[in-house]
Amino acid sequence: MLRFEGHNFFRQRLLLATVSNRPIRIDKIRSDDEDNTGLADYEASFLRLLEKVTNGCTIEISYTGTSVVYRPGVIMGGKVRHDCPPSRAIGYFLEPLIALGPFGKHPLQVTMTGVTNDNVDVSVDSIRTLLLPHLKRFGVEDDLELKISKRGAAPKGGGEIYFRCPVVRQLKAVQFIEEGQIKRIRGIAYATRVSPQMANRVVEASRGMLTRYIPDVYVYTDVYKGAESGMSPGYALTLVAETTTGALLSAECAFQPRRPTTGTDVDNETESKRGGESMLVNDYHFPTPEDLGTHTARRLLQEIKKGGCFDTSSQWLGVLFLALGPEDVGKIRVSALSPFTIQYLRDIKAFLGITFKITPDHSNQTVILTCLGSGYTNTSKKVA
Amino acid sequence: MEKAVKTHRPRQAGPKAEKKKPNKNAEKNNPKAFASFSGQKADRTIRRNLDKDQTKLHVPLVDRTPLEAPPVVVAVVGPPGTGKTTLIQSLVKRYTKHGLAEIKGPVTLVSGKQRRLTFIECNNDVNSMIDVAKVADLVLLLIDASFGMEMETFEFLNILQVHGFPKVMGVLTHLDKFKDNKRLRKTKKRLKHRFWTEIYQGAKLFYLSGLINGRYLKNEIMNLSRFISVMKFRPLIWRNTHPYILADRVEDLTDPETLRTQPKSDRTVSLYGYMRGTNIKPDMKVHIPGVGDQRISEISLLPDPCPKPEKVRKTLSDKHKLIYAPMSDVSGILYDKDAVYINVPGHFSKRGGDNVDEDEQEMRGAGEKMVFDLQNAPETFADNIAKSQLRLFNSSEGITGVEQESSDGRQRRRWEDPTQSDGEDDGDDSDDEGDMVDNDDENLSADDSDDSEESDEDELDSRNAGRRRVRLVELNNDEGDDEDQIAFADSDSNLDDDDDDDLNGDTRWRQKLLEKVNNGFALKKRVNLMDLVYGDNPTDLNENNEDSDGSQVNDESGLFRVRKATRNTDRSLALADACKVEAKSEDLNQWAEESTLESLRGRFITAQPASATDEQGIGGEEAEVFGDFEDLETGEKVEGKDGEGGEAGEADAQTDLTKRKEELKRKFDAQYDGSDDESGAANMYESIKEDMAKQATINREEFMDDDVNLRAQVEGYRPGTYVRIILKNIPCEFIENFDPTYPVIVGGLLASEENFGFMQVRIKRHRWHKKTLKNNDPLIISLGWRRFQSIPIYSLNDGTRNRMLKYTPEHMHCLATFYGPTTPPNTGFCAFQQLTDNTAAFRLSATGVVLEIDKSTEIVKKLKLTGVPYKVFKNTAFVKDMFTSALEVAKFEGASIRTVSGIRGQVKKHVGKPEGSFRATFEDKILMSDIVFLRAWYPVKPKRFYNPVVSLLLSSKSEWQGLRTVGQLRRDEGLKAPVNKDSLYKPVERKTRRFNALRIPKGLQSDLPFASKPKLLKKQSKPSLMTRRAVVLEPHEKKVASLIQALNTIHKDKERKRKEKVTEKRAKYLKKKEADEATTAGKKKEKMKEFYRDEGKKRAREAAAAEGGNRKRSKRDD
Repeated sequence: MLRFEGHNFFRQRLLLATVSNRPIRIDKIRSDDEDNTGLADYEASFLRLLEKVTNGCTIEISYTGTSVVYRPGVIMGGKVRHDCPPSRAIGYFLEPLIALGPFGKHPLQVTMTGVTNDNVDVSVDSIRTLLLPHLKRFGVEDDLELKISKRGAAPKGGGEIYFRCPVVRQLKAVQFIEEGQIKRIRGIAYATRVSPQMANRVVEASRGMLTRYIPDVYVYTDVYKGAESGMSPGYALTLVAETTTGALLSAECAFQPRRPTTGTDVDNETESKRGGESMLVNDYHFPTPEDLGTHTARRLLQEIKKGGCFDTSSQWLGVLFLALGPEDVGKIRVSALSPFTIQYLRDIKAFLGITFKITPDHSNQTVILTCLGSGYTNTSKKVA
Repeated sequence: MEKAVKTHRPRQAGPKAEKKKPNKNAEKNNPKAFASFSGQKADRTIRRNLDKDQTKLHVPLVDRTPLEAPPVVVAVVGPPGTGKTTLIQSLVKRYTKHGLAEIKGPVTLVSGKQRRLTFIECNNDVNSMIDVAKVADLVLLLIDASFGMEMETFEFLNILQVHGFPKVMGVLTHLDKFKDNKRLRKTKKRLKHRFWTEIYQGAKLFYLSGLINGRYLKNEIMNLSRFISVMKFRPLIWRNTHPYILADRVEDLTDPETLRTQPKSDRTVSLYGYMRGTNIKPDMKVHIPGVGDQRISEISLLPDPCPKPEKVRKTLSDKHKLIYAPMSDVSGILYDKDAVYINVPGHFSKRGGDNVDEDEQEMRGAGEKMVFDLQNAPETFADNIAKSQLRLFNSSEGITGVEQESSDGRQRRRWEDPTQSDGEDDGDDSDDEGDMVDNDDENLSADDSDDSEESDEDELDSRNAGRRRVRLVELNNDEGDDEDQIAFADSDSNLDDDDDDDLNGDTRWRQKLLEKVNNGFALKKRVNLMDLVYGDNPTDLNENNEDSDGSQVNDESGLFRVRKATRNTDRSLALADACKVEAKSEDLNQWAEESTLESLRGRFITAQPASATDEQGIGGEEAEVFGDFEDLETGEKVEGKDGEGGEAGEADAQTDLTKRKEELKRKFDAQYDGSDDESGAANMYESIKEDMAKQATINREEFMDDDVNLRAQVEGYRPGTYVRIILKNIPCEFIENFDPTYPVIVGGLLASEENFGFMQVRIKRHRWHKKTLKNNDPLIISLGWRRFQSIPIYSLNDGTRNRMLKYTPEHMHCLATFYGPTTPPNTGFCAFQQLTDNTAAFRLSATGVVLEIDKSTEIVKKLKLTGVPYKVFKNTAFVKDMFTSALEVAKFEGASIRTVSGIRGQVKKHVGKPEGSFRATFEDKILMSDIVFLRAWYPVKPKRFYNPVVSLLLSSKSEWQGLRTVGQLRRDEGLKAPVNKDSLYKPVERKTRRFNALRIPKGLQSDLPFASKPKLLKKQSKPSLMTRRAVVLEPHEKKVASLIQALNTIHKDKERKRKEKVTEKRAKYLKKKEADEATTAGKKKEKMKEFYRDEGKKRAREAAAAEGGNRKRSKRDD
């Protein structure tokens, strides 16, 4: 049994435990936090989600909630419905499912409700436009779909998505180190329960920054009305730059109303703290939609400057799927390693025994990750 | 009498036969005569040829054999007394000119310039056969021609088939037993064809005609060895995905002291062998068939004991013909369990006194001298150590080890203290680190000059660089416990803490530095990224967080108080379990500047074509940008770079153009070929193969230049290398009962194979196995690397559910579900009921393939709950005796029920009394005598039983006894199958049922509509008018009537006579027939009698022959 400590990197450890079929024990989950000792609601919800998509897993949570023992079962897939708590966005729950889906017994068809876009977790738009194309590169191709049927902005949520993922026997080995040059930029600006003009203004501002480089910039506006618009007002922008070799670099930003700093509502505050929102350094309350547009465009430029074939928020997927690939050499180029990815690399080593060769490329300040895949095959898939 | 005409027999050989042979070249010489004029025929030929092409295709498999391939495992298999040892001895003699007295364990030798072979002999134990089948690349199947094929041979072939079917070559021995040449020929042919049906038509079968001096004939062995050397191997899926070792040496490394005190304690064992299959990871779990699962505690590379020759021109010289057989006695080297003995002729004991001649001393070799010198030593090594001195200073006195120990008894313990030793190490490191930092600083300043926006502060930076260097070195020297490669990160934060009261400028450069660290590259360039990620320091991620987020982040395991203190700064997305990284506002603000924006232009396709590739584009852009600011040192550098760029630019452009042209050409070719080629399938096949080849070259080349340690870390230990694996906690019986003739395999397990679960398999009882397999009877299963006993439940899918079966069906696959270590789907397995030797029957019980792995099962068996009605209304009935409580009824509310007569209904609701009775409705009125039943499905759970076959731990390895089957238990205990009286058949008694007449009251009858009124009229009491009246015939009518009566009488009489005649005739016929039959039966009886007499004689002959054979066999076994 593998042992870990601390609440951080909870998802990836459970995900890797499920994929590699190794039981784990996580201790000291916020054990020194007086107010919110133990598992947060979204973590408990994630455990429940895992229980839904697998068969035969056992989860033991200690009385105080500070330690969890997880014995994975068989990944089943199939039709699943999950209501995500509003403390974290759907992206928090959907990200690991993207990595689990291809290794199930049946194709995964999951419907999730909750917050679709926020600044803590990857938004569903990014998942659709960034992670899914990467998935295709690894051989997960037919019937891959993410439909955003309802939008839900940050505090209350109320969005709904439908994700469908096929089952594969084995991933493909990928060598993806050609960055290429950026050939087009696409984006989605959505607005719910606010004036549709907001989305247009966001688009205008971001386009204004990006068209100086390339004329092929198209940002869709996506205005949801009525029942599909969730329970809170909000708007956000997601930008994706695609290079000639198919590398995708993304940036996103959502409007987030500033919380009352008086702290009168104690419950509300603790709730927000338990979510990831309190971890944000920047202020995402933009005075005008143009500010949001510019901010996002700048972040995209920042991402482009960093380079790599996998951008910061998709690094983990590349790393994980290389390690889960066939026993061949896989190679990807990423921008600077984020702390999240570094921990991912360590956890992959702990679970799968895969060590990456990490070579910095000084010519353009990127990192090349090379590994020999673990030869992982989808053992839960039935023989036809 | 006329003689029978003899048919013409054409000549089979000789010149005449040659002449009569159809001319092979006829078609070539006269093509017109053979031209096809039928379009249909041509069409058919084309189709057939295409079909034939398709049948040749196989699913392409990746060939993972490395360049330095491990020795090919050649297993020599056959029943006892077929000459296995003799064959290996002969082959070894042929390859290495060594005579092996005995074959124990694998024998590895160099067979050619490119190939090494490992021979193993498989003894006559099913366990061994299974294990050998899993590792052998080539099987030499020995068959005693004088006896014929034996049961073991077929068992082994079936085991082979299940585990991937490696190459098999048959070898017929004992051909010199045949006196009669014709019989020999016939036997050869018969055996050849039998062999072919087992392997494939045309499989190679060798004939070893006899022995000379206890060895097979030289030229026959040479032929065989040639065939072995040209053999090609197709990759087998299981071995292509799992690492494994065939151990050729086993040693017990347990501490002798532990052994003395606890002789039965678990052992630490090292196993040696060539890596095969795929790469093995250092902390992998392995399975040793016959022992169990173990985690590798240590694995290390050893020099190849039997290396391939480096450079050989044509043939191997004797020097290169190496042999390595540690467990057999090869040329005096004997590897015992825990020591290696070298048997050297001569004596090495020291002769009395020092009066040994000088001449004699010179005659000795270096090794011998050493032995003698050792004996000459006047003092022991310990004494020498005690005398040796350590002088700390020139002036000081030497300290001897003995003194030290006597003065400070803890001296030794201190060395073992890990923290202390760490301190020591770091002390050593501090110098190096200082150096490293030094270099880094230079890099840093160079970098700074590269960065445009820092131009204004560059001076500051360079000024401070020296200072910082000093500072860092100081820090390291002072503290000495910064034990990491990323000293930079650490010391930065330290600096932060220390220098709060620093100058303003100083903080500015520090901010700058932080920014750079955030950019990620300043750091990454000089810190070894591998160490950063995989280093031993577990907290450095958080330090990294500190760097990348610029805010203080405490270790999550830190004290509560500390966290409170820094609560406001305790923010980072990295702590929120999110993959996003927040961009810092300073970073984003820089995009407001035009120059920064412009610097990115090279990354877009709209960039000027001058920038050839994107990397260069960036470099060029950056260089341009750097041109903006002026620094004395770097200005030169930039210029130099530019100059180079200018010259190299044209050349680059040229190469780029040619590259682009090539690309275009390739694209065009691909398109052209694609449109031209009609057979898409073949094309796909080719392309897949091409991709595989491409991937294989990538795999080969990727880590070629890396050092050994990195390779081992990233790749694991590659196949083809010779490794030593140390395993801890091996049961002591493994060593105590070790027998080198049993193969020891170390098979690597993938992550998913360590777990247990239910496996659904498709299984078929082997057609040669005598009995059907019973549900819930234990089976010994060989699956993956493992051999284990488990209890399967057989089932069959009927389209909607898996229904349990009591027995395996005949000649048909069925499903079985059992508990065991999960093995990937599509893995083949074979099953046995017992492994012991004492049966003449075919032991292999079943074969199959894994279909699915799960943690739960869905097998059901039929369950019928019966009840009887105790009150029946029109469509409603009250049923009792089906359930016992209201709760049970509640559970089945709405369930469909049925009567035996087929009337369907539904359970409605529980009624009070009797307990468990319920109301039910039916589609029609049921009878009180009906039985009501409810068809349900009862889930059946397979037992969680897993019992590994630990045959290698036994002293007599073939006598492993697991759980016995029910039948065996009953046999052993002398029990009979229990009889349920209720299940016995009784004679069926059916009383005829009497029904009362339906009486409808008169009043009701009169009220009924006509349609419903009973139409039964009362019988007429008086004769009707028609019968009562008298008929008087007319005279004519009377005449006619009497005539007809007369005619009828005549006719009847005639008929009677005819019938009499027929009966008489028939009786006669039957009598005759009976007589005939009696005679034929007599004849037949005679015939059968003769046949059985012959048959009996034949049997007796055969029995006598077999007895003779056995006698011979037993003699050979001795």
